[in-house]
Formats: sequence, C-alpha cells, structure tokens
Amino acid sequence: MAEIVASTRSAIPQEPPRRYSPMAEFWQRFSQNVLAVLGLLIIIAFLFVGLFAPWLAPYSHTDQDLANTEASPSLAHPLGTDRVGRDQFSRLIWGARTALIVAPTSVIIGLTLGLLLGSAAGYFGGWVDTIIMRISDVLFAFPGLLFAMLIASTLQPRIESWLLSIEAAKPFVRSGYAEFFVVIAALSLVGWPGIARIIRGQILTLREQPFIEAAQAVGVPSWRILTHHLLPNALTPIIVSLSMGMGGAILAESTLSFYGIGIQPPTASWGAMIINNFQFWRTPSAPWMVWAPGLTVGVLVFAFNFVGDGLNEALNPRRS
Amino acid sequence: MTPLLDVRDLETRFFTRAGTVHAVNGISFSVNEGETVGMVGESGSGKSVTALSLLRLIPSPPGRITKGEILFGGRDLRNVDLGAMRAIRGHEIAMVFQDPMSAFNPILTIERQLTEGMRVHLGMSAQQARKRALDLLDMVGIAHPEAQLCSYPHQLSGGMRQRVMIAMALSCSPKLLIADEPTTALDVTIQAQIVDLIQRLKRELGMAILWITHDLGVTAALADRLLVMYAGQIVEEGPLRPLYADPRHPYTIGLLQSIPRLDRGRQDKLNPIEGAPPDLVTYPVGCPFTPRCPFAIPQCHTEDPPLMEVGMGQAAACWVRPHGGELLRPQSIQTVEIPSQGS
Ligand SMILES: Nc1ncnc2c1ncn2[C@@H]1O[C@H](COP(=O)(O)OP(=O)(O)O)[C@@H](O)[C@H]1O
Ligand SMILES: [Mg+2]
Repeated sequence: MAEIVASTRSAIPQEPPRRYSPMAEFWQRFSQNVLAVLGLLIIIAFLFVGLFAPWLAPYSHTDQDLANTEASPSLAHPLGTDRVGRDQFSRLIWGARTALIVAPTSVIIGLTLGLLLGSAAGYFGGWVDTIIMRISDVLFAFPGLLFAMLIASTLQPRIESWLLSIEAAKPFVRSGYAEFFVVIAALSLVGWPGIARIIRGQILTLREQPFIEAAQAVGVPSWRILTHHLLPNALTPIIVSLSMGMGGAILAESTLSFYGIGIQPPTASWGAMIINNFQFWRTPSAPWMVWAPGLTVGVLVFAFNFVGDGLNEALNPRRS
Repeated sequence: MTPLLDVRDLETRFFTRAGTVHAVNGISFSVNEGETVGMVGESGSGKSVTALSLLRLIPSPPGRITKGEILFGGRDLRNVDLGAMRAIRGHEIAMVFQDPMSAFNPILTIERQLTEGMRVHLGMSAQQARKRALDLLDMVGIAHPEAQLCSYPHQLSGGMRQRVMIAMALSCSPKLLIADEPTTALDVTIQAQIVDLIQRLKRELGMAILWITHDLGVTAALADRLLVMYAGQIVEEGPLRPLYADPRHPYTIGLLQSIPRLDRGRQDKLNPIEGAPPDLVTYPVGCPFTPRCPFAIPQCHTEDPPLMEVGMGQAAACWVRPHGGELLRPQSIQTVEIPSQGS
C-alpha cells in the first residue's frame, strides 16, 4: 500500500477546464431541429402581431364600412369584409391579440395550480395526495373542452350580471374584456390536472434519487429540497407541456368562441370569425373568410407543438 | 471519556410486501472523538442501513428503526425532533456516499451543491460560502477551483466528484464523518488517492470517522478499530492489528483470505467465502454464518452466539472462536501489510 500512498494534492499542472454553458449547449441542439426553429419563428411573428395589433391593422377591429359589406378581397380590404362591413384582415390581426391574452394567462394559471397541487401531492403523499389526485381524476374524466364549455356557459351570465351590479366595474364590462375572465378561468381549470399529474409523477421518481437522500444528509430542509432540487429537475416536462399547452389553449379558446360561449363580438376571435363567416362557405366566392382564421389557428397549434418537440429533444439529449 | 457516538442495540427493519427484512439486528458500537472506526462486511450485510439509521434517513415506509439508542453528544438521536435532526445532519454528522455520480444533483452547479450546507447551517452569504468552497476544494486537492465551481457534476471525473463530495461533507466541520464505501465506485488508483486524502484530512482536522467498506484491504490503511458485519450483526470487533494478526470469527478469517494482494500475483486465485449470506426475510435460527462455516458445531445451528471477549478489546460472536492467525499462516499471512499510522 505504501507505493500508492503518494501525492494527495493533485499537483499535476493542467489547463483550467473549458465549460460550455448549458444554455449554449441547449441552443446548439435546438437550432438543429428545422421544424422547431420554423415553429419558433411563427410564434415570434404571432407575438409581434398580437402585441402591436393596433398599429399593424389597417382598421380597428370594430370599424364598420357599411357601404362595403360582404365585400370580396380588394386592395382596401385584403380579405374582404363581413356582413356588417368589418375588415377581415384587421380582425385576423386583432384575433392574435385575443389569443395572446387568453392562451398564456390560462396556461400560466393552470401551470401554477398544477405545480402547486402536483408537487404537494407528490411530496407529501398520504391523504393530501389522495384528495388532490381524486379531484384531478374527476376533472380528467370529462372531455376537457366539454368541461370548459360547461363552466363558460354557466358562469358567464352570472359573472357579468354580478360585475354590472358594481358601478365601478361597468365600463370594464362594456369594454368587452370581462368575458376574458370567464374563458381564462375555464381553460385554467381544465388545464391544471394534466400538469399536476406530470409534476407528481416527476416528484415521485425524483424523490427516490440518491441525490435527494444526499441533500437530506446535508440537512437541507424539505421545502428547500422541493424548490431547489426536485422542481428544477422537473423543469423539462414543465417547459415542454407549457409549449404544447399554449397551442391547446389557442385551439380551445377558438373552439369556445366558435360555439359562441367564448369571446363575444365585437371583440375579435378567430373561432368566432369562423362561425360568423360560415355561411359564406356556401357562396363559393368567399371561402377565404373561413380559411384564413382556421389556417391561422392550425399553423399556430402546429408551431407550438413543433417547438415543444424541439424543446423536449434539446433538453433531453440522453433520451433520443 | 464518553464516546462521541454510542450506538446501543440498534435494530432496523424494512416492512416490505415480501416480508420483514431484518437489515440491522441489535448492533452496539461506539466511536470516540478523533477515532476512525472501520465497518466491513460483504454487500447486503447492513452497513449502509446502519449509516442511514444514524442520520435517521431510513426511507419510511417501508423502513423503521425498531429498537435501540443512538447516543450522540449525550442525546439520543432517536428522540430528537425533526428540526434538531436536520440541524445535526451535514453539520455535526456528515456523510460521503458510495456513488459520487448519483449523489450529486445533475442540473445544479458544483458551487450550488458545495455551498448549500454552509448556507443552511452556518448562515453564510453566497460570497462567504464561495470563498470557503474554494478553500475546501483546494484542501481536497482539486486544481483550478474557480473553474470547477461553475461546472456540473457530469463534467468532472469520478475521482474529482468524490473529492468534491468529501469537501462538501467537511464544509461545516462535522464531528463525525460517515464514509459509506466512498471508494467502491472508483478505479483502483483513484481509490488509493481517496484513501490517502481521507488519511491526510483525518490528521489535519481530527474528526471522528466511521469508515464503511466491503474490502478489508482498503480499510486497513485507515481504521483504528474494526467492526465486522454479517447479516446485520457485528460478528467481530477489535483493534486493527490484533484483529488482523489473529481473527477469531470464521467470517473474518474468510474475508482476510479473500483480500487480493500484490505479493500473490495475478494468477494466484483468491479464496472467496463459499456460499451466500442468509435471506434477511426468513432470518435463520442460530448463527447466521453456520451454512457457510467450516467450523460449525451442533450448537451453532440452534443458538445465535453473542459477542464474546477474546482479547484486549477484541470480541467475536462465535461458539468455536478458532485461532485465525494459525489458519492464515500457511497462506503467508505474515505478508499482509498493515500500514503504520501516517504512512
Ligand atoms: N429501502 C429498502 N427496502 C427494503 N430493503 C432494504 C432497503 N434498503 C436496504 N434494504 C435491505 O437491507 C439489507 C442491508 O442493505 P445495506 O445496508 O444496503 O447493505 P450494505 O452492507 O451493502 O450497505 C439488504 O438486504 C437490503 O436488501
Ligand atoms: Mg452499502
């Protein structure tokens, strides 16, 4: 043993190691996925249009050109006008703003709920887990959209009449933004069980990892283990489901509005545009009025899914 | 002098679907301040469960400490509340784990993990902790500490990770360091470096060490005293040299015969102990080593022997207690090197 008991301090001169930041490594992998990059560009364009809609749109979404109703595409109205003379191109642009308000908010609220409830269930186990997971099972058993429709259609009139009874809230209701609340609430309530399940599953597997035992052996308190060790490791599925969830929320908002229980006219919503213009479908002169919003929703949903896939691959290099 | 750690009749069981696993079965031992106690035994003999029991980290369910006392600094750790236990973990008793890869959080930097104990226990600011982290990394022999602080565990070699884990364990100057097979997952040359590092740190810092290993060869360099575990029991204990010179439990004799040694050369075959350890669910009546024991007498099948004094501080749990020194001699036991302190 004597000859191997030699130098302890490693005195071998070395170059300091070069380290690539995880962000750089991630971007390098992500950028190799053509579809994901394309999706990202589409999403950036969507964000841009949504944010700057008032300045980008040639007309306001409520402007009515009564001399020019049901007009075919022209230079003045690139996608034509609807029955009450509103410029369809402008409404398409304003629709992006509606989607941009509804989708991220409902996804983030759903995520927060799912994160809190899922990690509580996974970390504490026992009856906390049982109660949270049974509620999520019940919500999960409904088709999500049906449940959102139920909430939206039953709550909408009540909330609005309640808000109208408050003097200060009247202008807000009239502004048309009150209905956003109902839609966002409905979509958030539908969204959390999926996230909660993912988080709970992650926490349950991660809890068994030796590094959690090691952190406990260091004396790290439970809440700190949860926030500093468990949740950061569950970040990948959270980010991925966030991206996929955005696509889903845009589609769901459009669907609610399509059925007339979402965003109400005159506020622009792609789903409402589709149903309101549906009758034109039969007059072969104006299929674009249905196609344009439909295609927009479709392309965006694909874009979010491609980005989700790309994120998943780039964040999980070992899995692929 | 009262010992730093005094474990009395510790019993830990796992209540699984397949039955009750008798992992640790009433062991008693103590560790004095500044002393290094080696715990040896084949894998599955209950060493890790013992270590985790001391920190009350037995996963529950299915596990539970079912009996005994863990006296540390005058307190019975079985009775302290969870907050106090947390304040002891990593602060007064620190642990180094076997696998330096999986014991690190893969997505946190070395700095975050190395400084966590200091932030939690010593209330250090990020800067203070970082400064001490650099000193610690230097102390455990890591070159370019600044660069290593911002790396991730997978960017370090196994030996480096184990050095970092040792630095982490020492960050709050614990009174007792539990090292659970810290060299098992490493290459032989790296193993020697880590043993050497621990040896040096022990001299410089003077903490007590519970050194767990399944290899009597590596233990020898470090321990003042040895505990030999078999099937969740201590079957022999004693000071290092007497125990090596004259092991009195057939299991210890077998372990000593199976040490790979440089002087034997590669073609010389080892003498591993035949058979397998008992099933800890259907725990046997009598001495658990009986089925593998060449010396077994009828009494061994019916009665489990307690530890019996066989010499100065040496005790063996065996009805026969053969003189292992004589048995080993034909196989040139004289050449088993027991390094002197500080070599
Ligand atoms: N979480 C657990 N559940 C059930 N049995 C366990 C658990 N942890 C350890 N054991 C059992 O306890 C016994 C002792 O294991 P351990 O202390 O890890 O052995 P070693 O001496 O190799 O460290 C083994 O039989 C093992 O299967
Ligand atoms: Mg072990």
